[in-house]
Parts: sequence; C-alpha cells; structure tokens
Amino acid sequence: MKISIQHLTKIFPSRNKGEQAVHAVEDMNIEIPSGKLVGLLGPSGCGKSTTLFMLSGLESPSSGKILFDEQDVTTLAAEKRGVGLVFQNYALYPHMTVEQNIRFPLDNMRIKREEGNARALDAARLVQIEDLMSRKPNELSGGQQQRVAIARALVKMPNVLLLDEPLSNLDARLRLQTREEIKRIQRTTGITTVFVTHDQEEAMSICDIMVVMKLGIVQQIGAPQEIYDDPSNLFVANFLGTPPINIFKGKISGGKVYIGGEAIAETPLEDRAIFVGIRPEGFIYDPEGVLTLKVDHIEVMGRDKSVVSVHESSTKPTVRCIIDSDVILPPDAAELKFKIKPYKLFLFDAETEERLR
Amino acid sequence: MMEEKDNVSTPAQPPKKHNKFVQYFIDLGARIKGWFAGKFNAVKEFFHGFSKEARAEKKALAAEGPQLSRGEKFRRGFRAQSGWLFVAPALILMAVFTFYPIIAAFIGSFKQEYLGMTGKFKGWGFENFIRVLKGDTGTGGANFVQCLVNTLLLTFVSVPLSTLLALLISVALNSIKRVQKAYQTIFFLPYLTNALAMGAVFATFFKIIGTVNNTETVGIVNIVLGWFGMKPVDWVGINSPVWYLGDLRIPWAKYIVAIIYEIWSGLPFKILILFSAMQSINKQYYDAAKVDGASRWTILWHITAPMIMPQISYLLVTGIMGGMKQYSAIVGLFGETMGMNYDMGTMVGYLYNYIGLGQTGYAYAGSLILFVIIMVITFFNNKLTKKRTTY
Repeated sequence: MKISIQHLTKIFPSRNKGEQAVHAVEDMNIEIPSGKLVGLLGPSGCGKSTTLFMLSGLESPSSGKILFDEQDVTTLAAEKRGVGLVFQNYALYPHMTVEQNIRFPLDNMRIKREEGNARALDAARLVQIEDLMSRKPNELSGGQQQRVAIARALVKMPNVLLLDEPLSNLDARLRLQTREEIKRIQRTTGITTVFVTHDQEEAMSICDIMVVMKLGIVQQIGAPQEIYDDPSNLFVANFLGTPPINIFKGKISGGKVYIGGEAIAETPLEDRAIFVGIRPEGFIYDPEGVLTLKVDHIEVMGRDKSVVSVHESSTKPTVRCIIDSDVILPPDAAELKFKIKPYKLFLFDAETEERLR
Repeated sequence: MMEEKDNVSTPAQPPKKHNKFVQYFIDLGARIKGWFAGKFNAVKEFFHGFSKEARAEKKALAAEGPQLSRGEKFRRGFRAQSGWLFVAPALILMAVFTFYPIIAAFIGSFKQEYLGMTGKFKGWGFENFIRVLKGDTGTGGANFVQCLVNTLLLTFVSVPLSTLLALLISVALNSIKRVQKAYQTIFFLPYLTNALAMGAVFATFFKIIGTVNNTETVGIVNIVLGWFGMKPVDWVGINSPVWYLGDLRIPWAKYIVAIIYEIWSGLPFKILILFSAMQSINKQYYDAAKVDGASRWTILWHITAPMIMPQISYLLVTGIMGGMKQYSAIVGLFGETMGMNYDMGTMVGYLYNYIGLGQTGYAYAGSLILFVIIMVITFFNNKLTKKRTTY
C-alpha cells in the first residue's frame, strides 16, 4: 500500500499558561511507495514517534492529511486502518499465552476458530516462534517477545506495518540479528513498513528510504547512501555516519576554501563564513597535502587505521581520519599533511547551516 | 507356595488408582499429616532445650569455650534473646485478647449449661453444638440456621454484585477526564460515614408510614414505587412480608434492603482499590488493543479485568470475610432485635445475642462453627484466586 503524508502537523497545546505549545511535527510531506521499508530517523523529541502514532491512528493530526493509496484515512479510527503496530516495549498482554496474544486481533475480527488457529500458526512460523505458542510473555526472552509482537501485528495481514523503536530493548548482538530479521520479514510479506529509530546505523543498514527529522521538521528524504553522500544540511551530515563527520570552521575567500590559513579546495562560490565537513574516510595521507593536522594518537583497527588529531578550527575536540592500513605513516610524526577527496567534502553556510553547492 | 505366588503377583499389580477427586483428598490428608508432624517435631525440639541433658550439654560447651565475665555473659545472652523483648508488647496483648479468648471459647463450647458469672457447669459434651444446630436454644433467642442462611445469602449476593458494580464504575471513572477527582471524592464519601448512621438513614428511606406535621407519609422508596402504581411495601417494619421454608423465614423485602445497603456501603473502598489499580495499567496495552480492533467490552473483560485480577480477588476475599462478620449495618437497619425475632439475624448477631442472654455456651459453640465455616470458605477462596491471579 502506498502512503502519502501531506502537510502533516501535530501541535500539543501547552499545559500551563506561559508555556509554548509544542510543535511535534510540522508540515511534513512524504510519499512512501508500496512495499518499501521506511525508517524515520532523528534524535529523541524530533517527532518521529508522533508521526508513527498518527499513521496508526492513535494520535490525530492537528492539520494535514494521510492517504493510504488514494483513500484519506486522516480521521479514520485506528482499528479501521488495517495497520499492525509493534510497540517499543511490545505491550504483550501478560495474562495471555503467546498463541492468545497472536490470536487477539483475529478474535476481534470474529474470524472462525480453525482459520484463526491456522493464521496464528502461519504468523508464528514467519517469525520462528511456533514452538513457544503455549508460553506466557514473561517466560520469553526480549528477542522472543519482540517476535511475538511482530507476529501479532502481522497476523491480521495489515496494509501497513508500523514499528516503534523495534530494536531499542534488545542487546547489541540480538539487535544485529533482529534487524536482518525485520528486513527478511518485510521482504517476504511485501508489506509497506515504517519504523522509527534514533540509531542511524540501524536505519542505514535496513531502510529502503530514510527520513531524517529534527525538531518536528523533515530534514532530508532519500535512500540511505544518497543521504550519506549528499547531505542537505549540517545536521544531517553530522547525524549520519560512524565515526561522525569532522566539522571545521572555515571561510571562502577569492574562490578558495580556507581552514585556518590553509586553502584546501577551490570553489565558484562567493566569499563568506562557512562550516567545512569532511568525512573520516575522505582524507588521503600525502606529504604534499593541503591540510595539516596535529597528531594525537593513532588507532589501529586491522582493516584500517584512524589518525586521531587536533586542529584549532575543528568544532569537535578531535579530528578523526580513517586511512588504509597499508598506508605507511612516518613514525612519531607530530604533524601530518592530508589531501582531501572532493566528494567527501561538504560546505555549509555558517549561519543557515544549509549545504552550499 | 503361597509366598511364591505373592512374590509373583505383587509387582504386577499397579498401585491403586483413585479418581482425581478422591486423590485430591488423599493428598490433602497426607499434607495435613505432614504439617502436624512438622509442628510436633518443632515443639519437641523446643522443649528438648529445657531438658536436663540439653542444659548439661550447653554447660559443657560453655566450659570449653573462653571464660566470660558475668556482665559479658549477660550481655551476650541478652543480645541473643533481645528479639523476644521487642515483640513482647504485641505478644502479650495478643495473648490476652486473641489467644486466650480463642482457647477459652474452644474449651467453653464443650461445657454444658455453663454460667459465665459463676463459672459453674454441669459436665462436658457436645450438647451445646447439638442444641445450636437444632435451634433448641430456648425462646426469644436467635436461630442459628436462620442466622447462617441470612449471613451466607447476604454475603454471596452482595459481595460479587458490589465488586462487579465497582468494576464498572471504576472503568467509567477511568475513561472520563474532566471532573474525575470530584467524582472520586463523591464515590469515596460513604466510606467515611458511620455504619449505624447510614443504616438509620436507609431505614428512613424504606419506611412505610411516618408522620410529618400530623400528616401520614411514606418513605421515599415507597413514594417512587407509588409513581409506577405499585402498592407501598413495608420494607423494614413489623409487617414486612415473609416467605416460609419449613421453619426458615425468608423476609425478602428486608433482604432487598440489606443487599442494597451492603452493595452501596461496600462500593467506595472497592472503587478506590480498583480505580487505582486501573490507573497503574500501562496505557500501551489499551493502544495495542485499539489498533487490534478490540471493542470496549473486549478491552474490559480481556485486558482490564485480568490485569487487575489480584485486586479483584483481594476484594472478593476480604469482602466475603467481612460479610461473614456483618452486624452493625443490620442493627442500624432493622433495630436491636435484627428484624422480627432475629429473622434478619447474622452469625455475629447470634453470638452477641447469647452472650447478652448469659448463655455463653451457645455463643461459644456458634463461634466455633462460624470459625470452621470461614476457614472452609477461605480455603476455597485461596484455591480459586491462586488459579486466576498467576501470570
């Protein structure tokens, strides 16, 4: 099912006098093609969960429209939208067995017992919990509970599957495993899926489309690699990528980009103050290089190594450059010079923090 | 030959299988036996501590160890035993006001024609119990079977009904937002009102004839019934309608009044408990149920009620226990004689009645029977609630 979000806005009115109303989501416009896995990404409080709950029908928007295919569902009640929702803490009913939990949506649809049992078993098979059917939720591990919650959301064959921070309650190893699992389930079922996360790595790894949000405003929409390679502003550039991008204060003067006193690149742009963003993998060691960094220490990872250094124009305490492990660096050098890959170099306006192209 | 045959046949014979019901009581018997054996051993061990051998042993041990000064010995002994000192006040009070009366009642119930004032009695036996159960306790007093039936009927009708009503009211209260606090206060007010006073007010509501400014009036309930063309009923007075079941009297009008009163007066506490339990249920369960298309009814019976089952069963258990001990409300409603000649008498009323008449033996016997009945009910209560509340 295609989802189209048009000018969606959610304002929570202020509770006390003198407080400002909270604009949780502001003028959001997204087109989600059918059968895609979409991640809403942003730091906490950016309105991503609110968006998800508006899609599910549990929250009603202040203004704007939500369309499923061509049907306007903005005012449709949650149970009539045909969405499956997986909560952050799963919200499995503790007094029901796994089977009863999975069957619960079917029982509400008054589906016959045999058919209901068959469908519950199918859903359980899909998430591989068919041998846990008679257990109670508190007898399951976190990962198993997660699967039950997904099975419960899938069993009614929803048009849209919504997942709220699906991996946040799992430990690191299970998280890796489960995110692949979610991808697999989404591929097999072909259900349009929207999930919320604050973990950029998680979003990058499984999303078809990623929506980066900040303070209720959509910053950028696109495929993960696209956004990574072509961030539209400083926030997006900063938010994506581990280790994070290096940001320097700089300026454009006479068609050249300056960091400190060094001209590192040429540009057709006018003179102004800027932020320069360079991805850690954008540095090439070269004694003839354009940027000089004071080396703090070097971390060897095996596959590659990181030169951790300091620079007075950097906005962060350290500058991190990742270079191939077979590059030989002069031992005990206090300073190193680097060339910069032009496609890993982004310029942002110092005031608006928008990308300069 | 016989021996050989026995040897062959014995292992082939399977252990005797009982059906589930019989097996349950056999197991129960074994458990009770084990419990008593355990207690017996504990008592034996306790008294062994006072025996000559044990004391000699202790002395020998003390002689082997380091020699202590008198003060140090006392201090150590005091430290080891000081726990008793701290529980002593409670223990003494309980001994005087709980343990002694229980034992005295138990012994007293077997004394025939016991006179409380002089302490004289005719002999030992079960006569008290027989007379109590037969209702052969002299004229003017309450009838045990009548009191038992009244108590059980009032309890097992009013407690489940008021719990159910409290559940529904709590759900309604939980779903409103604006004046929730105000409603909460209103619902809780009856809890702060004296039972006798409330009983008197109720009795006025249900009165048939009264006089105001020399004009005959009827109570508000009969006025309302009159609007629907019904004749006034004497709800609480001497002409209250009664059905007879053999010797047993069924004063149905009084039952209705008592049940309504019990439900109403039981509501505030139940609402308080259930409402606060509901507030602590995670809102996400309701969100999940909503997305899954559950109706309000399904949410109430399949989510809310099971989630607060511990509180519901607590209310049922305490409500039934309280119901078995009800007294003051009935006196408030129907006067000191609990209706006509105790036709609305309760078990506790029965005990007070015979204590008042000086025939303490019947009161003792009645209290023992009440004790056994409450024990049985509590036993089944625990069985049922344990099953329902574990998740």
